[in-house]
Amino acid sequence: MSDWHVDDDLAARYAGGDLGGTTAASVEAHLLACERCRGSVAAAVPAERLERLWQGIAEVVDAPVPGPFERLLRLLRIEEPTARLLGVTYSLRWPWLAANAVSLLFAVYAAGVNDRWGLLSFLALAPVLPVAGVALAFGRGADPAYEIGLAAPYSVFRLMLMRAAAVLVTSAVLAFAAGFAFLGNWVAVAWLLPALALTTLTLVLSSRFDPVYAGSALALLWLAGISVFAVRDQPLAMFGAAGQVTALAVALVAAALLFLRRDRYQSEES
Amino acid sequence: MNTVVVTNVVKSYGRYRALDGLSFTTGPGVTGLLGPNGAGKTTLIRMLATVLTVDSGTLRLLGRDPSAERLPIRRRLGYLPQEPGFHRSFTVFEFVDYVAILKELTDRRERHDEVRRVIAEVGLAAVSGKRIRALSGGMRRRVGIAQALLGEPELVLLDEPTAGLDPEQRLRFRDLISRIGENRTVLLATHQTEDVAALCGRVVVLDQGRCAFEGTPEELRRVAEGQVWLSPERSGMLSWRTGEGLFRNIGGAPAAARLVEPTIEDGYLLLLGDAAVGVGS
Repeated sequence: MSDWHVDDDLAARYAGGDLGGTTAASVEAHLLACERCRGSVAAAVPAERLERLWQGIAEVVDAPVPGPFERLLRLLRIEEPTARLLGVTYSLRWPWLAANAVSLLFAVYAAGVNDRWGLLSFLALAPVLPVAGVALAFGRGADPAYEIGLAAPYSVFRLMLMRAAAVLVTSAVLAFAAGFAFLGNWVAVAWLLPALALTTLTLVLSSRFDPVYAGSALALLWLAGISVFAVRDQPLAMFGAAGQVTALAVALVAAALLFLRRDRYQSEES
Repeated sequence: MNTVVVTNVVKSYGRYRALDGLSFTTGPGVTGLLGPNGAGKTTLIRMLATVLTVDSGTLRLLGRDPSAERLPIRRRLGYLPQEPGFHRSFTVFEFVDYVAILKELTDRRERHDEVRRVIAEVGLAAVSGKRIRALSGGMRRRVGIAQALLGEPELVLLDEPTAGLDPEQRLRFRDLISRIGENRTVLLATHQTEDVAALCGRVVVLDQGRCAFEGTPEELRRVAEGQVWLSPERSGMLSWRTGEGLFRNIGGAPAAARLVEPTIEDGYLLLLGDAAVGVGS
């Protein structure tokens, strides 16, 4: 070991960050081997600065790593807490979105093979996917920390609406893309109002039933309705003008009910 | 000051009455809620956590009525459910941070400082970056307690926090819960009389949705004073064979019996009779 040591002046300049890179590196190399100098440098470092540095390091080490959807939301200028609450939603993660996309691709492929029945399969499926997504976005069955969240001050109703809206938007973007890319006409959006009606109804029923049960029941009813018209040789009847007006009316009534019953989501009834 | 005031509270699930006119009060310190399975402990804790509403009767929590002022109560409340669910792919820090957002800690820096504080308080700082699925059951319980301590709540509700833990882990929990209870009101639902003896300044015994006893652990112990006997033969009352080969009998004196000092468990068993040992009442 050399006789050279870090004197008080050098220790103070090192602790203050005033040394150049080369000299600082030399001091650090020496500190690794010299306990005496470690002591004198430690004494020169202000406790407050040290605490701040450690906090900074802890922040870098601990900070949660955002997933792809959360990063996308941050890019869209959504605030970090909201992006995190949305990012944990199962039906906003890649596996679910990929499964959605594949289902839609099969449906539009079927539409390409057979105009009438293929189109029906696409139009029937497109509203079911956001319903399933919404059902898996919140509630006891979908959110492991649901009970803890229910007792927290953050509004359960607001969280539910945010997640439902995010799921609806992502499902709609996928269905729009698939519909326009492969079908190329406005019939490809005939699913939109039924999807809106079914998802809003799912939210309304979720004040009383688990969202998974509510969504499943509505999806089955929807598919049963489509089947009834298909058997009567009117496969696209639910997507005609009367069907669209009915879907819009159902969506509006459901939205009003949702608003009126908003307090029921904040706790559980027996 | 009484932090929790429960008056004639009734809660039913269909035709089953989980709480049947329950009344008690409690304040700062650790209060144990003792009772057999089905006594209504979890229903009561969920009600105090503002997760369930009452059918009839009144609740006052932290001086407020939860049916009218739920939000201000939730802001001062910490809650560990009986079966806390975790996002298992989260790290300890990520999970507690997620709950911190639900507790309206929006400033990122302050929130992370608070998350680090509670994780350190439950002794999990060394595993803060570990995924929850890789933790032992005892460590997961501590994660559950950590999230309940976010924001320094004045009322902490812990539902069966020591169930299924080994003796060493239970000892650690007792140390942790007693520290939490130094400056807050802690309600601890349990059916472990040892936890109540070790931790609680007050105890409320529930039986079939009613308050069967309210007082100190010492008063609960005294319920069985003069009624616990060691004898060579089993009597017709609550009794079991001890390691010494004698029978510990609770109730009236059997033949050739020797009177012994009761424990809290004896008082609890005497109070609830067959219901406490699951024979039915």
